[in-house]
Amino acid sequence: MFKYLFARNEDIPPGTAAVYFGYSSIIWFIIGTGLGSFNAAKLAFPDFVTGSELFAFGHMRQVHVHAVIFGWISMAFAMAMMYITPALGNTRLWSEKLGVWNCFLWNVGLSLGLTLLWTGMTSGREYSDFPWIIDLYIAAFIALPLAINVWMTILKRRTQGIYTTNWFFGAGVFMVTIVFLVGNTPEWFQLTGLSEAYLTWWFAHNVLGLWITPVAAAIAYYTVPKITGNPLYSHRIGHLHFWSVVVFYSTPAAHHLMSAPLPEWLKSFASVEGVLILVPAIAFVSNLLLTMTGKWHYFVDNLEIKFTITGVLLAIPLNMQGGFQQTRAINWYIHGTGWIVAHAHLALLGFSTFLEAAAVYYGLQTIMRRKLYSLTLGNFHFWLLLIGFATYWISMTIAGLIQGAAKIYEVPYIDTVIAEHPYMIARWVGGTLVFTSNIVWLYNMWMTARAGTEIPAGRLPHELAYER
Amino acid sequence: MAFREYKIGTRLFGVALGGSMMITLYFPTIDMTSVQATEVALRKALSAGRQNGFAYEDPFVTGEGKPVTVVLRKDPVTGEKMEPMEAYVFPPGTPFPSAIRHPRTLGSGVKELSLQQGRIGEADESRGAVFYVDHATYQGEKLAYIVNATAIKGWQPEQVLASVPEEDKKYIGTGKTLFVREQCWWCHTLLPEQTQDWQYFGVPPRLGDFNSEGPTAFGSDRKAPDLLHVASRNSSREWMLMHFFNPRLVQPHSIMPRFDYLWDEVDANGNKIDYAAWRKAYEEYEEGKRIYPPEVPEPHPDSRIRKLVDFILSLK
Amino acid sequence: MAWRFDNPLYTLSDEESNKRAMELWEKESLGGLTENNNRLPVPVVWLLALTIVTAFAITFPLWGQRPTAAIYEEYIALMDTPEVQQIQDDAQKMEYIVRTVKAKGSKYEALQDRHPVDMDDLRLIKDDIIELKRQNADLEEYFVVGPDVVLANFEGNLKPDGTRERKQPWWDKGYTIDVFYVAYFCIAVMIAVKRLPHYSWQPDHHKYHHG
Repeated sequence: MFKYLFARNEDIPPGTAAVYFGYSSIIWFIIGTGLGSFNAAKLAFPDFVTGSELFAFGHMRQVHVHAVIFGWISMAFAMAMMYITPALGNTRLWSEKLGVWNCFLWNVGLSLGLTLLWTGMTSGREYSDFPWIIDLYIAAFIALPLAINVWMTILKRRTQGIYTTNWFFGAGVFMVTIVFLVGNTPEWFQLTGLSEAYLTWWFAHNVLGLWITPVAAAIAYYTVPKITGNPLYSHRIGHLHFWSVVVFYSTPAAHHLMSAPLPEWLKSFASVEGVLILVPAIAFVSNLLLTMTGKWHYFVDNLEIKFTITGVLLAIPLNMQGGFQQTRAINWYIHGTGWIVAHAHLALLGFSTFLEAAAVYYGLQTIMRRKLYSLTLGNFHFWLLLIGFATYWISMTIAGLIQGAAKIYEVPYIDTVIAEHPYMIARWVGGTLVFTSNIVWLYNMWMTARAGTEIPAGRLPHELAYER
Repeated sequence: MAFREYKIGTRLFGVALGGSMMITLYFPTIDMTSVQATEVALRKALSAGRQNGFAYEDPFVTGEGKPVTVVLRKDPVTGEKMEPMEAYVFPPGTPFPSAIRHPRTLGSGVKELSLQQGRIGEADESRGAVFYVDHATYQGEKLAYIVNATAIKGWQPEQVLASVPEEDKKYIGTGKTLFVREQCWWCHTLLPEQTQDWQYFGVPPRLGDFNSEGPTAFGSDRKAPDLLHVASRNSSREWMLMHFFNPRLVQPHSIMPRFDYLWDEVDANGNKIDYAAWRKAYEEYEEGKRIYPPEVPEPHPDSRIRKLVDFILSLK
Repeated sequence: MAWRFDNPLYTLSDEESNKRAMELWEKESLGGLTENNNRLPVPVVWLLALTIVTAFAITFPLWGQRPTAAIYEEYIALMDTPEVQQIQDDAQKMEYIVRTVKAKGSKYEALQDRHPVDMDDLRLIKDDIIELKRQNADLEEYFVVGPDVVLANFEGNLKPDGTRERKQPWWDKGYTIDVFYVAYFCIAVMIAVKRLPHYSWQPDHHKYHHG
């Protein structure tokens, strides 16, 4: 990587930035899920590693969260943008050099930020935990260079049209920059009180709703038509999806605070909007599943489609939960319980991870011109990831329902803790499976780079047969 | 917008996103900034200090530059006995909370009272100040407001601190910072809900309970009891200390981590704490080789745990 | 890019624009990807309509509140009547009260079923509720929390007289904003898709691209 930081832009082979981002994201995924598994172990066995400040649960939980969001998910997004955006414009990335620098600064900044968090330097605001100097760094050296590269690539495209995926990419990088700048105003300007609480959740909601969800969906808009060879089912539904994300996903921030003292009208407004996130969800799922028409055998035969469609299908329970759990009629029962934790993992580890994994698998093969080293290991990764995630999700959902019931009937809190214990162990097992699967993945991608069969010019990865 | 009509599309995008931000940011802000601060909010603001997360006066989030909460039993100037009252001492250079810096955040009535009757506008950070909370009627409404005792009664921060014995000093601001730093709020919420929580954990906070607080840190993922009113349920300092040192000492099924490292180097008598020996003794106790667990060291007054417990016991 | 309005549900673009769009649509290859022009399937349209209706319906505060003081008002009114005082046994007293209120028909019947009480509970809250009634307070704004009757914690909406409303609202400006917001969205998206060539036309991707 270092040799390209100071190379001339023309001398950097196309796709370099995407490859760096791809491998970085996998490594961050391993780090993030490893931390997750470690944290889960501490919840199941509180004396597991103890007495040390650095290995205390309170110092590590946020490192896990930020490693997966800003390391794995966002870097996988950057990877996807670095190769899909130019591909859809029949052009090259605007600046490969900026991309390489972006990746370098991203890794440096994230390592620094996570180290600070780990030592206890935090803003004390969930999801925007980074101290404001790191937030500033992220806005200036992570989000903005990425945004510039994506926009310039779209502007310099050689097609008249911009494909749906690129609407989402271009809008996503814009919105995440805005969300970062506005969502951190409590830290820039020392806002306090309810405004601080509300903006904390405004940030948390929008970083998911205007960055992770739409960009993950945009990846599926690319992988499914690309690999199956089918045209996208409908340009029109693409409109419905895009506009409803902008309109309905950006508004329900207050629904995270349904049980906090916020003005009731704001809760009414946010809660209705919250159910309406089903509009983009319905548009997305129907558009993608209908695009599969006639090509469903790919769901079995092709690894990337297997990942993508699993992600698309997981969007159904995700949005059913997300839409309804925040309403007045339901939220009182499950608010603040493990149910929410399960839901967050359904969004990030279920829905979005499966879509990004497909992009990383497909992108690395395409750019490196190497066929995947082993389908067996790929399938192993898929199933271990899915089973690990499902174990986690189901156990935490049950734990959440227990907590919810205990909240309603006056159960001494310690009895809740005791009742949840088996599910805490199951959650740890699930998380560990996920962690293990990612090590297998890294090995598989490493071997793909080293020993994958070369893809001849003019062919695409999915057109070659798997060899192992 | 027709097929591939991007000029209109991008403008429409701006309108949509701008409209959304108008409704979700501008409208609520009008409401939230006009909320009248309650007494709870004022006491929280004055005891916590400017900022309990990362801040320029406290970049390592260890609780630097925070006020000291004291219980006054006699007048610090005359030495006359008086009804015990809480006062908030900001030694010179301690940053004031938003409530003092920007009285506008207190809501109109509390702001008027604090400025006119409480004279908080005269407080000067570089010289320090002492504040307390009083009540008055404003346009027919009984409100709590902040009084600048340095301006009104001439109480100087050093003088007040010197007049108060150690057990009447509470490092709530530093404690709250440690609560944020050690991320107690990942598991313990500060937000009872309107369900049975109300009976079990106490009254949910009100709209005006947060003015000037930052971060609010009421948590979202409850894995342990709510703490907003914990000291009303259990105000035993001894229990808290045992529970922090090793929660399994008082609650065998607890999944809370041990916070023994907050005892720092030495105990109350200045002896170095031998953590290894304690652990060994505790293991023997667990294996049944000892009848009683080892004693939890009495914390040093400057230790972090003392300040954290000060904060926890202030949650009434 | 000219408009036509004579057949708005069919298309909002004139022939010329549509022809150009169709031509471009078929010619263009976006990184090897193509798009069709299918309409939103009819069942999905209904699903979306259902979603919008449900969004409002389920946001109403249907379940999950604490019992308000109002639901016990009728019980308490009956407590001191001679009929109830004649009965010796507490359980029978309570049963009589519940039966009588049910027979009369109460607007809180469902809530009364959901939050049953016994005579001891009623005695604890009786004085508070009578006192509140004397002050003409709206009992729906008060919760019963164990032995206490306390002001509910819902805030932020104002009554016409300027005081705070302490109830979860069945309608407030939040819902009103929602109605307009959703309406604008639907209109804008409908205009956007009606500016495209009608969905009865599907691009022929093989016309310019082979293989």
